[in-house]
Amino acid sequence: MSDPATLNPLERIAEAPADHYRVLKISDLDGDRLLELSKFMKLSLSREDMLAIQAIYAEWKREPTDVELEVIAQTWSEHCKHRIFGATIEHEVDGKAETVKSLFKTYIRDVSQRIFDSKPGFVLSAFHDNAGFIKLDDELAVCLKAETHNHPSAIEPYAGANTGLGGVIRDILGAGKGAKPIGSLDVFCFGAPDTTMENIKADDVIHPLGVMRGVVRGVRDYGNRMGIPTISGAIQFDDSYIYNPLVYCGTAGVIPIKDIAKKIEPGMKVISVGGRTGRDGLHGATFSSAALDTDSHESDQQAVQIGNPIEEKKAADFVLAARDKGLIEFITDCGAGGYSSAAGEMLEECGGTIDLDQVKLKEPGLVSWEVFISESQERMVLAVKESSLPELRKLADLYETELTELGTADGSGILKVTHHGNTVCELDCSKLHDAPTRHLKGRWTKKTAPVEAPVLTNPGQALRDLFTDFAIVSREPIIREYDHEVQGNTVLKPLAGATGDAPQDASVLRISGSKRLMAMSVALLPEWGKTDPYAMGAACVDECVRQLVAAGADPERLAILDNFCMGNPDAEEELGALVETVKGIAAVAEVYGAPFVSGKDSFYNYFETKEGPVSIPVTILISGMGIIEEESHVTGASLRKSDSLLAIIGHTASDLGGSVFARRHGIENASVPSTRSEEAWSCYRKFYEAVKKGYIRSAHDVSEGGLAVTLAEMAFSGKAGLEIDLCSLPMDDDASKAAMLFGESPSRLVIEVAPEHLAKVADLFEGLPFAALGRATTAHANLHIEWGKETLVNEPLADLKSLWKTGLARYY
Amino acid sequence: MEDRPCALLLKFPGTNCDAETARALEAVGFVTEVLPVSALKPGKLVGVSLVVLSGGFSYGDYVMSGRIASLVTEQKIGETLKDFRDNGGYILGICNGFQILTQLDLLPAGSLVENASGRFQCQWVKMKNLAPKSPFLSRCPAEFELPIAHAEGRLVTKEAAEAAGYLKSGAAALVYTDEVNGSFERIAGLTDESGRVFGLMPHPERFMKARDHYDPDWEGGEGGWGSGYWLFKSLHEAIKEGEA
Repeated sequence: MSDPATLNPLERIAEAPADHYRVLKISDLDGDRLLELSKFMKLSLSREDMLAIQAIYAEWKREPTDVELEVIAQTWSEHCKHRIFGATIEHEVDGKAETVKSLFKTYIRDVSQRIFDSKPGFVLSAFHDNAGFIKLDDELAVCLKAETHNHPSAIEPYAGANTGLGGVIRDILGAGKGAKPIGSLDVFCFGAPDTTMENIKADDVIHPLGVMRGVVRGVRDYGNRMGIPTISGAIQFDDSYIYNPLVYCGTAGVIPIKDIAKKIEPGMKVISVGGRTGRDGLHGATFSSAALDTDSHESDQQAVQIGNPIEEKKAADFVLAARDKGLIEFITDCGAGGYSSAAGEMLEECGGTIDLDQVKLKEPGLVSWEVFISESQERMVLAVKESSLPELRKLADLYETELTELGTADGSGILKVTHHGNTVCELDCSKLHDAPTRHLKGRWTKKTAPVEAPVLTNPGQALRDLFTDFAIVSREPIIREYDHEVQGNTVLKPLAGATGDAPQDASVLRISGSKRLMAMSVALLPEWGKTDPYAMGAACVDECVRQLVAAGADPERLAILDNFCMGNPDAEEELGALVETVKGIAAVAEVYGAPFVSGKDSFYNYFETKEGPVSIPVTILISGMGIIEEESHVTGASLRKSDSLLAIIGHTASDLGGSVFARRHGIENASVPSTRSEEAWSCYRKFYEAVKKGYIRSAHDVSEGGLAVTLAEMAFSGKAGLEIDLCSLPMDDDASKAAMLFGESPSRLVIEVAPEHLAKVADLFEGLPFAALGRATTAHANLHIEWGKETLVNEPLADLKSLWKTGLARYY
Repeated sequence: MEDRPCALLLKFPGTNCDAETARALEAVGFVTEVLPVSALKPGKLVGVSLVVLSGGFSYGDYVMSGRIASLVTEQKIGETLKDFRDNGGYILGICNGFQILTQLDLLPAGSLVENASGRFQCQWVKMKNLAPKSPFLSRCPAEFELPIAHAEGRLVTKEAAEAAGYLKSGAAALVYTDEVNGSFERIAGLTDESGRVFGLMPHPERFMKARDHYDPDWEGGEGGWGSGYWLFKSLHEAIKEGEA
């Protein structure tokens, strides 16, 4: 018998240890010991959680098995349960106290529900399935889902991003009875590519350049092999992401409306298709619910999975063929928590038995909990009628994927798991729904003040300078590594225009079997959030919606996703910033009638460096999908004709905060522009009328770099030079030249119209901020901007384009 | 009685351009069967006029691209496929399909290796049509554009002179007008001596409609069609004529 003092916290309490599972005597442990056990088992459960579990088992008059504790840890993990978005938060804004009972319910779900109700039949599914669906036409629906894979990508950029995309593709395959993935987006936040090693204040952190190259190749190799076009994306560079890079991956799908609803019933068989199960990816869900440190780069390697896109491609071909034959009753993906989450999700109401002896393993010798929670990639879990099994087996053979019968749904309401003849888990899932509500504190105090704009001595030089900024330079080297045209449906490509290399706002996909199309866009503005998270949230929703509308989508038929990342939720200031961000997105989404149909959050993106913890700023990604009524409505962002006139929609504010210009000119804490959402919404609807009438040749949103950058980008199509006069620009009375040229006020679009249409378009915008800006010209190939009689900018477009095109190419 | 010619598209694990390629074939008038390779056997070629190997990453392309697919094809229908060609059948390989064909000895000797850039390249390219009499290119203009998307599309031969010879012999049916991936003689597509086997790296199935072009004002879209349409259309006409 070993000396109890030398035993670890698990061995001390393991009763009747079998070789593949153990019963753990937790009933007489105190809070400290319970927490110690949680840490030792890497459960990421708090003291309160462990005490709650102890109480549940006391009620059941028994002790848990290690498998059960692992299942509960997965179920209650931040990754799966979004405990912080459900928490009660004592919040304080500029000294005023308020209580938020569940950010999710108050600002996401309730706002969206009101929008659903106002547009009956448009949102067909939201929040409960793997992805939210909106109606495309009478037959088809489209969906979009985005996820983060930050921690794995920090430790192993290639594999982390690879499986990040692989995972979200499975979300789509598991949405409804199996949606077909049709397009992907990826959004990254990295440290600057030119970060010096001295600026990295911890050991074993991968240089941002290494992270960027690994992540891009990871996305490339999964998306390209799966044959899903990667059509939309963004990259933000900031020092705060050196230790915790962010990797968002998203995928859109299409499904027949009749295949959205799914239900599991007693007697159905639970099967797994795709890859085998191994020790890779243990504790991914709980690992992502904790902070990183230097040791993570050593010890958490096991939590990063290995991707095999061809395995997933075979499974995908199988799933879509099986769905078309009506053989699938229920399907979900194996993501965080592996079979425990997938089977748990399926059987939580119905109940049933899973036999781990049936699971095909990559290597022998896995103990029960390892088999049940392994996050090995490329697995889908389905519920099917027993009578369908023979045909499903044939299909699996045809597509060369492995099909395994895991168990049976039985209507008992109990999730029972057997292994080697023992029952290793027997849980009444209905008792586990309510993880203890967390109680948190948030605080936010205004950080911005009006700042006098710098005197612009040489606006042309300032513009050149902006075109070298990492925030603005062309992403072409990366975009070209992604196959963005596979499936043959990419109508508006990420790079387009007459020379095929000019930036676009949204990307547009044709949908096979429909006359309608789908636009996809993304928006994130982390710089704004550092000083004004509410304004960031508001502006992100605005920008995402604006890009969809600019591409020709119907403003009444949009849906958006909210994906949050932040540092330490236990730090009041950080959580306060999150609360403000959520309020911002909710407010504008409600005005625009753009419902949230899915969302995800990632916490603990902070790193213990030698000089203390470094957190990322609260970062919200808003991604969106919009329905385009017909192909003739698709609108690009590049100048098309040399006889066109240009006009601006939207108001230019004097604020410079959050802008790339402010960053480059050392302007700190300047107030950021607010989103005039009511006015913007009117403008977007008018814009859509103009699109339908065929008045809009092209339209480009004003975003990073402001109006001057937007104009130049439009003209990067090489069709003409531009003669612009800002004298009638709708703006604040005190807007400086810097604000006019480089301010980043939201809700603005520059449009290109034929000369004969300008008056009609102007009529449409009567009473709204709208002004003619100038014209295209063949007289020169410059961007020439005047303000009354004064020339502000007169720069050759070719020079600006060259700066823009080469800025990132040196690093990637 | 079905009077449309039949196309058989082989789908390997990792083939991913099958749906849009089948769509393109159907658009010009083929009846198309997409056949997972697990079900491939010699009898499947009976009644078929055209065998298509589409784009993708067969078996992941982790060893040399197309290598495993070519071995599987050889093992399953190797001789039958050659007989098929000898008896008047047509074979088209696009991108990964071209890579597979080069390893099946159905095209003049050459290998498709990693691009000179060392990168995957997704972009549009312009090509010269050097074989206007080819059944695959007869309706295509002298110069036209298509998108490419590949990491291994650089055609190399053992001796550079061999590739130069392909220009003279007419085997080099399509060449890029600009330097794209380091291909010898800028070769983008090859045809065999019979003229009925053709492989190309660019993707005609992605440019079926004029609106697929990156420039919304592209002028060349006769009938609203893109350049890829005319490649499939050429082939369909040649096969219909042959059958008549």
